[in-house]
Amino acid sequence: MKKFGNKKTPPQVLNTEPSKNSSSMATKQVRYEALVKALHGDLYRYAYWLTHEKQVAEDLVQETFLRAWRALDSLKDEKAAKSWLITILRRENARRFERKRFDMSEYEEASIMDTKSTTTEQVIENQWLRDKIAQLPPEYSEPLVLQVLGGYSGEDIANMLNLNKNTVMTRLFRARNQLKDALEKEPEKMRFLHE
Amino acid sequence: MNDNHTSDSDMPKVDNPTKKMDDLQYRRSIYADPTSQDDDIIAAQNADPAKKQLAHELCLFDEKLKQAMNVPVPEDLYNKLLLRQTLASHQQEKRKSRVHLALAASVAIIAGLVVNYLQFSNSYTNLGDYALAHVYHEENEFYNDDNNRVSLTSLNKKMTTFNASFSGSLGELISADYCRFDGMKSLHLVFKGLTDTVAIFVVPKEEHLAFTKKFSDNKLQGESLGFKQANIIIVADKNESLALWQRNINEKISWSNK
Repeated sequence: MKKFGNKKTPPQVLNTEPSKNSSSMATKQVRYEALVKALHGDLYRYAYWLTHEKQVAEDLVQETFLRAWRALDSLKDEKAAKSWLITILRRENARRFERKRFDMSEYEEASIMDTKSTTTEQVIENQWLRDKIAQLPPEYSEPLVLQVLGGYSGEDIANMLNLNKNTVMTRLFRARNQLKDALEKEPEKMRFLHE
Repeated sequence: MNDNHTSDSDMPKVDNPTKKMDDLQYRRSIYADPTSQDDDIIAAQNADPAKKQLAHELCLFDEKLKQAMNVPVPEDLYNKLLLRQTLASHQQEKRKSRVHLALAASVAIIAGLVVNYLQFSNSYTNLGDYALAHVYHEENEFYNDDNNRVSLTSLNKKMTTFNASFSGSLGELISADYCRFDGMKSLHLVFKGLTDTVAIFVVPKEEHLAFTKKFSDNKLQGESLGFKQANIIIVADKNESLALWQRNINEKISWSNK
């Protein structure tokens, strides 16, 4: 069996393999690993804000990267990698909803503790804000996450979400407006946010 | 909350600058993008410090948002992703190896069939070539001075296979045995000849060997007689009169119509 499988070698040794096929496999492997390393965090966070559940977000990222691996040859421009992955992830997420519709209005995500924050006040503040972001309608929170976390322009977001730019800008306005409103209803939080 | 696309038109056109932005327009634009560097935004900020202050506040707010959105990524996610991919491509490889194995098996089977085919079938294209080869192959099995004799009765018994019999002896029969004549069950008769043995084959009619009336090489000569039920082939050395043998056979053979 072995003599037929000329490509079956672990990635570390692949580079020493002289055959053309193997070296292209190795290139793909290197590309993939670089992609995972650079973007898995962003993708996970994006998935988290899309799904509000850690485990689901993780599964979604796994599915996304698996599909990305299979389709890696179709990614020509590395600079477009992130939005390419986000597109795959959104598609995977939509597929998840086709498979199983579940109640997305009720969720509890109090378990997330940001270990990187130094003070308790910050932890509380982050938690409060997270709850508020999570309570935004998804059509508002999604462009907001793409803008604030992903650093995408209104135009980019419009392209990614298949909306026109004015719609995106309106939703971004409403997202921030709602968060600000929520903040003003709970004056004791203002202290954290305005210092 | 009641966002639908018809209400999106109440948005000021940010990328379609108006000379002067009113407060509401400014608020909407800066809420949509606190870091906006559009000309009319900058102009509005320069004209009104309160607007600049709002932008600054929103940028700070964005910072807080970013911090909040920056949820911790599971530490093992990176490794899980690599592992998952390795497993996935391993599965793929395994499928490929299975395909390879199946291919190898197919090749082996085909090779076997080809060998089988070559071994048991016609490497000769006509009766004459095969008959000569057959005689040469058994050259050392029979000698003209062999004392062994086969009776007409036992010959005729064997001839029943071909629904034929001889009314009398054709000559001194040294041997009469069934043999494989290029894959066909045939009767191989060896007669005592003038200088060497004479071989006579009774061969079923088959299409894969072309009928050759007369054939010869530098040592042997042969002739085929085509009957309705079978072919009879005579092979002898050049001292022998094949015509004589032929006439002899024609006179003495009779076919039953079974």
